[in-house]
Amino acid sequence: MSRAGARFGAVALPLSGVAAVVVVWEVASRLAANATLVPPPLTVWRAFAAMQGSDLPADIGASLLHLAIGYGLGVGAGLALALVAASSRALEAIVDPFVEFLRPISPIAWIPLAILLFGVGRAVPVFLIFYASMFPIFVATLDGIRRVDARLIHAARSLGASRRLVVTRVVLPAALPSVIAGARLSLGVAWMSLVAGEIVGGDAGIGWRILWYQEFFQMDRVMAAILIVGVLGLGADLLLRALQHLARRWNPAAAESAA
Amino acid sequence: MTGGMTRPLSRRARVLLPLSVLLVVLASWEAAVQATRTQGLVPHPGGVLWSGAQLTANGVIFQAMSGSLARVLIGFLFGACVGIPLGLAVGAFGTLDRALRPVLDALRSIAPIAWIPMAILWLGVRGNAALFVVAYGAVFPFIVNSSQAVRQVDRRLLSAARALGAGRWVMLRSVLLPSALPMIFTGARIALAFAWASIIAAELAVGIKVAGHGRSVAGIGQLMVETLYVKRDVDALVFYMLVVGLVSFAIDAGLRRVQERLLPWKSH
Amino acid sequence: MEKPLDELVRLQGVGMVYQSSRDGERVEALAGIDFSVRRGEFLTVVGPSGCGKSTLLSLIAGFAAPTSGSVLFEGRPVDGPDPARGVMFQEYALFPWRTVAGNVEFGPFARGVDAATRRARAQTLIDLVGLKGFERRYPHELSGGMRQRCALARMLANEPTLWLMDEPLAAVDLQTRIILQDELLRLWGDARAGAQRPTVMFVTHGIDEAVLLADRILVLGRRPGRIKEVLEVDLPRPRAALRGSAEVARLTAHLWELIRDEAAQAIAEETQ
Repeated sequence: MSRAGARFGAVALPLSGVAAVVVVWEVASRLAANATLVPPPLTVWRAFAAMQGSDLPADIGASLLHLAIGYGLGVGAGLALALVAASSRALEAIVDPFVEFLRPISPIAWIPLAILLFGVGRAVPVFLIFYASMFPIFVATLDGIRRVDARLIHAARSLGASRRLVVTRVVLPAALPSVIAGARLSLGVAWMSLVAGEIVGGDAGIGWRILWYQEFFQMDRVMAAILIVGVLGLGADLLLRALQHLARRWNPAAAESAA
Repeated sequence: MTGGMTRPLSRRARVLLPLSVLLVVLASWEAAVQATRTQGLVPHPGGVLWSGAQLTANGVIFQAMSGSLARVLIGFLFGACVGIPLGLAVGAFGTLDRALRPVLDALRSIAPIAWIPMAILWLGVRGNAALFVVAYGAVFPFIVNSSQAVRQVDRRLLSAARALGAGRWVMLRSVLLPSALPMIFTGARIALAFAWASIIAAELAVGIKVAGHGRSVAGIGQLMVETLYVKRDVDALVFYMLVVGLVSFAIDAGLRRVQERLLPWKSH
Repeated sequence: MEKPLDELVRLQGVGMVYQSSRDGERVEALAGIDFSVRRGEFLTVVGPSGCGKSTLLSLIAGFAAPTSGSVLFEGRPVDGPDPARGVMFQEYALFPWRTVAGNVEFGPFARGVDAATRRARAQTLIDLVGLKGFERRYPHELSGGMRQRCALARMLANEPTLWLMDEPLAAVDLQTRIILQDELLRLWGDARAGAQRPTVMFVTHGIDEAVLLADRILVLGRRPGRIKEVLEVDLPRPRAALRGSAEVARLTAHLWELIRDEAAQAIAEETQ
């Protein structure tokens, strides 16, 4: 393929995929012939445009705030726990079983208890996001630290590095790719928990707004909000993917250990 | 850290240490609740145990569970039927991959539960809405892993098979399938775990929608909503949570066993 | 060996028992090792796989403590790694996120040498090992031979009294290995007769390499790892000229006689 052809393919192919979905959607809405049951693409687009002038910015802002607080706390806690577990065998033996016990209990299962403890409101999605994002980064970080090449640690120690220096200059850089990969996994489950938490137990945010529009049977706006959830989630993942790419360039070890 | 001269703990210490910490935590938790007389407001180990015994004895938990598990299974199978062929096609044909990638990525990023209003509209509250959510959640792990499974088949194996005189059918059956299966199976494991989480979410959402209307749909999620809003039984709620966790643990452990048994050449 | 050489390392009744993490089985890696490394000698260590060569090295490096006996360095017991005992690893063990210069500087950096001094020191060593122009490259951008040169420079940056080398040339191709052997001898001071040379303990699989480089060869047996024989190599230096000579060939053949049976046995057990 020529260079122009390749560039054409890079833009045209994804566009054609999107176009195909829109066409199928349009056909489905005409077959259903009911703008509530299957709102046509154009109607949803208009709803999206109308939402931009009203609640949408505030809703997205609220969701991002939930995400920032919950994800920040969750990732921080997961990282801290992983470092604690890595620092001594005894602590690891204590922390690990607890994590393995809690991990299968999905954040979703916490929703009723969270509603009961915190009441319907912001705390529910924030708690769920916190809980959801803690485990993937914990597991990935601990695994990354455990898989640090022992010879690198030996090399640093025999070159005169103190324990602190071994941690900051060898263990952490070597584990960094795993940490970022874990952060990406965490973000994925955090996003799912955000939507679930806002829908079932929240009082603000884009997920909560989906249910709000449903109350008023504005299905075009419901569809628009659902699509916004997808686009925002995708955007967040792309952001972390870019970070992963950046880390890989700065730290060639990432390329090797990612393989 | 791994370096230095630390010795691994003995097997006995590895079991006794966390166990004793757990016992201390549970005992002080129980004591705190008893001391502050907040039973009924805050869950406590004794109450959870008691609720669990009751709910197991009268069979409520099994009824709800069988409803949820049936829906998970149907949704999971539906996800496999759509996700595996689509994933294989996307993995085999680069053009299709590039055309569908952004659409699939965006759809994947929509939390399954966000579809709840549309699903209720399309399929009604009586379980089928939840089924839609589950199938939606299960389909993407199948797509992702099947496409990756095709892409990572070692081209040298194909060349080797061709050089050894393999025809198309032999190639498909003896090289492509065994190479791709482990990864697809791993996708199935993720899909089932995801389906289980989605069913709880969907049943919760549906349950909250219909809780006020006196209708009940069998499923552990609805049961949790009922427990939350009607009975306000904290201890039962925690018991349900533990059951949900236990089921996902059992599902994953079981599938892992199956994977090791069926596909011994490579376990992911 | 005209003047009496004092001992740099002393191993007294050293034994090492591992608890296998898999099945909890006790593995006796070393037993009853009594040996001294003389100051300034080039000692090579050979033996079939599983004889505990690498274990012996890591005991002296201080990465592990022996389960019995004692390891003394300059008369004091070893209680952990120390910059005076430099180590070069199999397959390099370079820090992949540091450049060549960053790797070479690590030792002085870890010991708190100021930036200007350590940079100058690193540059000198990089030039010495023939990596000039590659200072800003990352390890994954280098060939195997260049990585090993970098690892050597990194070790030398601390000016260690003892060079502990664990099969450092095992991962490079044959031609590169010959070149690196010559380079190593040059850096050690092969040509400077009677000069103050560093002490080297060099573990290797290659018995021809063991003969060519060494003043003495420590031959280990297996199950458990123990000293089988110590061979003096009374060949003149510089050695590079002797490569392929009859004397080296004769000693190599003798060495092979010593370990052949156990090597075959080791292979048979591995394939079980």
